Amino acid sequence: MDDDDETYLLLLLSDSNLPTGSFVASSGFESYIKHGFGGTRDDKSNGTDRTTTFMSDSISAYARSALPFVSDAHRVVRGVTTGEDATIEEDIDDGGDSKSEGYPEGYHYLRKIQELDDLYDVMTLNHVTKRASKSQGVALLTLYSKGFSNPYSATSTVTSTMTSLITRYKTLVRAERTPGHLPICWGILTGALGLTLERSLYLHIFLHARSLLSASVRLNEIGPYNAQQILLHVSRGIIKTEVERCKDLRTGINLRTGINMSMNLESEDPGFLHEGPANTWPLGEILAARHDLQHSRIFNS
Amino acid sequence: MIGSSSNISKIQAGGGRITLSSHGRKVWISELSATYPLKLLSPQLSDNGVAIVYALTYGGGLVGGDCIELSVNVESDAKLLLLSQGSTKVFKNRLYQRLASVQNSAHASLNSESPATLQKMEFTISSNGGLFLLPDPVTCFRSASYNQIQTFHASKDASLVVLDWVTSGRKSLGENWVLSRYYSVNEVIIAGKRVAKDVMLLENNESDSRLNRALAERLAPFSCYATLILRGPMVEETIAQIAARYGCISVMQRKAPEDLLWSLSPIGSDNENGVVIRVAGKETEIVKNWLKDTLSSLEQHIGVDVYRRAFV
Repeated sequence: MDDDDETYLLLLLSDSNLPTGSFVASSGFESYIKHGFGGTRDDKSNGTDRTTTFMSDSISAYARSALPFVSDAHRVVRGVTTGEDATIEEDIDDGGDSKSEGYPEGYHYLRKIQELDDLYDVMTLNHVTKRASKSQGVALLTLYSKGFSNPYSATSTVTSTMTSLITRYKTLVRAERTPGHLPICWGILTGALGLTLERSLYLHIFLHARSLLSASVRLNEIGPYNAQQILLHVSRGIIKTEVERCKDLRTGINLRTGINMSMNLESEDPGFLHEGPANTWPLGEILAARHDLQHSRIFNS
Repeated sequence: MIGSSSNISKIQAGGGRITLSSHGRKVWISELSATYPLKLLSPQLSDNGVAIVYALTYGGGLVGGDCIELSVNVESDAKLLLLSQGSTKVFKNRLYQRLASVQNSAHASLNSESPATLQKMEFTISSNGGLFLLPDPVTCFRSASYNQIQTFHASKDASLVVLDWVTSGRKSLGENWVLSRYYSVNEVIIAGKRVAKDVMLLENNESDSRLNRALAERLAPFSCYATLILRGPMVEETIAQIAARYGCISVMQRKAPEDLLWSLSPIGSDNENGVVIRVAGKETEIVKNWLKDTLSSLEQHIGVDVYRRAFV
């Protein structure tokens, strides 16, 4: 993909009109404020500090738990275009029996994506975060199939394979046979569109930051100009640091065979333990999970 | 111990095995072995289907390079309460292993320049069995580096109470989350299917971003964090009580954080797989009392005297 194409895609994906459902999510910020963190509300100047503090902790935590999944999902989908076995598996979820068979040659994209999805689901025990993740994830898949697929010209085999894969995955999500979590779906979407992995990771965290600042404005913590100021002068450094820190992390699932490497700890290098997804902010976890306990709230999570 | 060597597996340094068997209403520990620096003790108790084992380390703590591997097997209908004696203290990395250690193959794979501490525990709980893992919290001292991996293989009708908690350090020395690294994994597999994998990583990162948030700032004002996993028939009532309590909480705008905060999330989408509870407290004592009170209904399964040994 050339620079022009990539730039155009980035503009498109960062459009705030993009129907992704992130509007209703505050990433736990509303709960954080409600529970009395970050100083009192009386002091007006607190809003900026509280916002930048929360944003820093939230981005750091989210990057560590989600980016390995974006990376691996992106990789799987890129496999469709790079000439690996391009057949999509017919029946991937037949009650779990297929998992005990030997893995046939070639890639089985849907099964791999489903494994990533299931792993994210069992690693994200916070039910509020899970809920938000699933609703935003399926929105991205819908966006691809209804918004980004091309009705105007003949499509290549690869593109129609991709469209078919994503449509099938969306069907599985609707049928509740796979969770359809946001990081995995973002990896799928950006991989399908041909965005590089590095750009995909960066944009994902940028959008997380922007969404947070938007929530902060609606929560009356900061004004709209202040939000732009923070986004330009403060967020950038944090986004860059966290993406840099997490861009080489993997989930532990071996994308070739689908076997989760981290399940086989005996022969494993303990060094691996430090390279995978993790929850690094237990306070954020508790506050996000307690979102529904708020007597009144304007956000869904 | 007398027995043919083919029946007794070789145990590495820092290794241990516990097997709890049962027949009728009697339980007995059919295997209890440990090598330095791990030590396992089981007090004689009047039987009501429950056995207690204390897991300790010589010297009362772990130092860099220590590698503990414990394998626990709770057979059908048996109940095991696994405790520690005092907080597990983790001292910082140092270059040399304990002089009394036997060379362990796991050591070779650890970075020999600054070996971290590793505790690995594998639990199997059979049908209608119960594991009550209620240790004291882990306390990582300044610059300590600690890894803990706990894997639970449970039958469909087995019960689990898993408490995993960590404190901010030695208050007397002003330690407030100045550990180097704390990494803890709790993986729960029910009838062969993984339902939860909780990975917590706390580290003091170097950061050159403008907002360099130290670990202590991100965790303030709490000095103790706990994760509690509950699932199975023996904890159904406890879970129901906790859920009812949680459902009554209604949070209005606060000026400052409470002394203790907790959250409750179901594991998985059906009711089969239990709950995960997270607790944060300004003092370890506050969290301890909360846990002791919240889990008190376990007394009906393990007995009042046995329960009293936890949260001492």
